[in-house]
Amino acid sequence: MGLILLAEDASFSRTMLRRALEKEGHEVIEATNGKHCLEMLENHQPDCLFLDLLMPEMNGYEVLEALQHQGKHLPVVVVTADIQDTSRERCLNLGAIAVLNKPPKPQELKIILQHIQIINGGDC
Amino acid sequence: MQQDALQELVNIGVGQAAGTLNEMVQSHIALQIPHVRLLSVLEAEKQLQKQLDGEPMSAVQLGFNGSFSGVAQLVFPTASALALVAILTGEPLDGPDLDSLKISTLNEVGNIVINGVMGAIANTLEQYLEYDIPVYLEDTISHLLYNQVSADDAILLAETRFEIQQLQVTGNIILVFRVGSLDALLYALRIP
Repeated sequence: MGLILLAEDASFSRTMLRRALEKEGHEVIEATNGKHCLEMLENHQPDCLFLDLLMPEMNGYEVLEALQHQGKHLPVVVVTADIQDTSRERCLNLGAIAVLNKPPKPQELKIILQHIQIINGGDC
Repeated sequence: MQQDALQELVNIGVGQAAGTLNEMVQSHIALQIPHVRLLSVLEAEKQLQKQLDGEPMSAVQLGFNGSFSGVAQLVFPTASALALVAILTGEPLDGPDLDSLKISTLNEVGNIVINGVMGAIANTLEQYLEYDIPVYLEDTISHLLYNQVSADDAILLAETRFEIQQLQVTGNIILVFRVGSLDALLYALRIP
């Protein structure tokens, strides 16, 4: 069981993803935009971050850039409706460990959570 | 030739988007072949009015910018939008008004479907597009159109219709490429 920060502005997608992650036995805390996400990271130490790209205030790319700038080693999974190859590459270049298209399939989530568990040496 | 190419790209994109929508609602999505036409705004308005009557529509609008720019809309008759929201949220609708969760639900459906279409076009043409945050609107098709373009503009209208027969939901995907960016789009579509 791990702690997951979920940054997503759309309440529908946030609810669906939260349910799916909780079903896998994880605790989920939420941020509603990129700025809120960075603020949450100042006060919490999640095992991983699930990050939307298109958000108000600060988008997902800007969050990835900020994390890279801070040298934070947090596994980030981007969950986006954007299926462009260039967007996927940009996220991976900015340090995301995976890019999932919305809505993510349960099997994809299971695999990525197992992968994060290995990276973190047990958590998540 | 370029019109055929764009029609096929929209077809591929809509197919991809329908696959995603199918997963979300667990029902078959029937698609019509897309129509792609270069029209004046007035002609586009007439065409869309003929097809969609003068009824109020629910629309999710997503602007895109890059080597070509414009706006994509997923447009539903309001009754279809309400039915779709009820299916996705699992909550019965108690009236014609949508609360913020329901609007967010439709916004995300629009976001996913439109990204499926535009992403397929961008990937095939090896172009990069940036998107605005999706916006939910309720209006007549004329107002939805004039919200984005002025009467003097010429637009490339790519339009297709889908139907979730089992759930009695119909919708239209309308792509409007602004005239300033048409050259870039047509250049990207050139056939060697």
